[in-house]
Amino acid sequence: MKAASDASMPDSTFLDSTELVLNMGPQHPSTHGVLRVILKLDGEKILGTDCVIGYLHRGVEKIAENRTWAQFNPYVDRMDYVASVSNGLGYCLAVEKLLNIEAPPRAQVVRVILTELNRIASHLVWLGTHALDIGAITPVFYCFREREETLNIFEKYCGARLTTHAFRIGGLQYQTYDGFEQDVKAFCDMFPPKVDEYEELLTGNRIWKGRLTNVGVLTADECKEYGVTGPMLRAAGVKWDLRKAQPYSGYEKYDFEIPTRQNGDTFDRYVVRMQEMRQAVRIIRQAVESIPEGPIMGKVPKVIKPPVGEAYVSIEAPKGELGYYVVSDGGVQPYRVRVRPPSFVNLQALDRMVRGGLVADIVAVIGTLDIVLGEVDR
Amino acid sequence: MSLGKLLRKVFLVDLFQGLAVTFRNQAPKNIVTEQYPAERPKVAERYRGAPRLNNNPENGETLCIACNLCALACPENLIVVGAERNEQTRRKELTTFTYDVSRCMFCGLCEDACPVDALELTQDFELASYTREGQIWDRQMLEEGPKPTQYKC
Amino acid sequence: MADEQKPGGSEAPLPAGGGAAKQPAKPSPPKPPATMAATPWESDLARELKERFGGQIGETSTYLGQNFIAAKPEAAVPILEYLKLEADFDYLVDITAVDWPKRPERFDLVYIVYSFPRNERVRIKVQIPDGYKPATAVGVHLTANWLEREVFDMFGIEFAGHPDMRRILMPEDWQGYPLRKDYSILRQDQRWVQENLGIESGQ
Repeated sequence: MKAASDASMPDSTFLDSTELVLNMGPQHPSTHGVLRVILKLDGEKILGTDCVIGYLHRGVEKIAENRTWAQFNPYVDRMDYVASVSNGLGYCLAVEKLLNIEAPPRAQVVRVILTELNRIASHLVWLGTHALDIGAITPVFYCFREREETLNIFEKYCGARLTTHAFRIGGLQYQTYDGFEQDVKAFCDMFPPKVDEYEELLTGNRIWKGRLTNVGVLTADECKEYGVTGPMLRAAGVKWDLRKAQPYSGYEKYDFEIPTRQNGDTFDRYVVRMQEMRQAVRIIRQAVESIPEGPIMGKVPKVIKPPVGEAYVSIEAPKGELGYYVVSDGGVQPYRVRVRPPSFVNLQALDRMVRGGLVADIVAVIGTLDIVLGEVDR
Repeated sequence: MSLGKLLRKVFLVDLFQGLAVTFRNQAPKNIVTEQYPAERPKVAERYRGAPRLNNNPENGETLCIACNLCALACPENLIVVGAERNEQTRRKELTTFTYDVSRCMFCGLCEDACPVDALELTQDFELASYTREGQIWDRQMLEEGPKPTQYKC
Repeated sequence: MADEQKPGGSEAPLPAGGGAAKQPAKPSPPKPPATMAATPWESDLARELKERFGGQIGETSTYLGQNFIAAKPEAAVPILEYLKLEADFDYLVDITAVDWPKRPERFDLVYIVYSFPRNERVRIKVQIPDGYKPATAVGVHLTANWLEREVFDMFGIEFAGHPDMRRILMPEDWQGYPLRKDYSILRQDQRWVQENLGIESGQ
């Protein structure tokens, strides 16, 4: 607003324009990694966004063409580094599909246990960081305290906490350690009261509800148009989970529910992921009761050379549908490995979700998308 | 709004319930902080840490037979095994063994590939050094392991 | 859905390993390059597609239980539209490309679609030469936006009609298309590295 006495001021300054371009840069505590979002704002209201990604691009698909099939396995963990066991499972399943073999039953059950523990670990990171971004600083400590228990189990099993490299093509490398079943059962007994604790902290809290309801709404049709999968699709009301629709690694034997909600807003996604953690405990309990005896590695040749062909295998990773499209030309090195990252495709929907919202909603929406930039950029 | 709901809203009951959880966790028995470096974490037996070349405990000779399988298995090609043929025993003997720890991703493929359990990834995780060259380990450093400076607290 | 597991003998003229590489004359009879052991896919969907699109669809095959269709490049987006509107394939899973440098039609553009009601996945593969600009699928599925940008970034396949055709993972002014087979893994855009990072080389 110009005062009458400001005769020397120019006729219009940038303060008069209604559109402000603001950069939420790659270094930002709330963008969950190196994500750059260029916002077009009208005051605090968002008119449009533009995501710039690629700051963590390491060329994993190119590396795959220069390593042997088994040597590429450790690289796969580093894409979604928060939930690395799932990445390994997807890749091993894809190569096993090309080789037309199946892992033995004992290996499949242990794979399910580790993958579901990994789902809990990933959702705990999501919950902690999402709450931290919104402003609730306490849950992150408790979530990471529980995550320590899962990481301890991973460490005792395969030797690494984060980039586990737990699975091999054809089965498992390591036999389960003595005390594996006890540790997993102890975790299953310890964990549900902790989920109740998180819900006590957050679900009824009026600030939490006020920040999350009706923010970032994505209806079921929009989800399908944008190719959004995972908890976001389930929060919009589509009862679809790859573990039930196209089961892999023995998931058809376990009894679990698929939590869904109706509105498709951020609060619904929060509820869906909390329920998923509880369902994961349920699956682990069933799996650990019945680990069959037997070999842990299938009949895999010493040098892995799948016949010429291609396959697309996808799994239900904690973040959505993680797919691997592997093309083999009969050699010892993959010809092409394409990773279909759930976070990359989910991030496209950011623009639709925050239009018309406030800047504070961007933080909530990026948190609810549950993106990991390692997977977005590969 | 009913009276109960109004009272809950005015007196911030839901916020205090959350605070109760926080205060419950302040009890000293619930503290999980590890005071490093006074308390070093206990890592698992299978932990993939610093590599080590094992020696035969009886005669102190190296167990490595210079078969080069670890170098072939490594995704990053950072192991270089030097060997020479011993004319008396007609076998290959190990001379030099170079391992670049700065590029190692501790995946364990070399440990899995070794047929005689000579190369092993141990539980040492304190691998820092002051120079880039200090991260390229030769045979002696591999056999002894990194010796990080221990500070008294 | 036919679940054919044994390698059938049908030599389907499909994008396969090696392609139609010519072998130099040797004393022993040259072995034909190995191709994918795909078997024909017979189902209602395949028949409907063949009726609707006729000559624009090549072979419908299945390998390891996964069905795919080979099609002409101009038919890709109409097929996607037909599948979305008539056959309930409402979710575009992925768009990607594979580079076979020895073939005249160098790139294999692959679309993967999934149908929620049918719980089925279908791949549509088209072969395109270098320099060809396929039509964009953004009008049919909004997911295609970033997926096509990535295919452009990595392979250099431009999509005609795309609202925002620019690089997504690599820096905006990078020269070269990294996932092509003639781009060595050690190669970088030295000019970009020197201008933007101020160092001689990133290696």
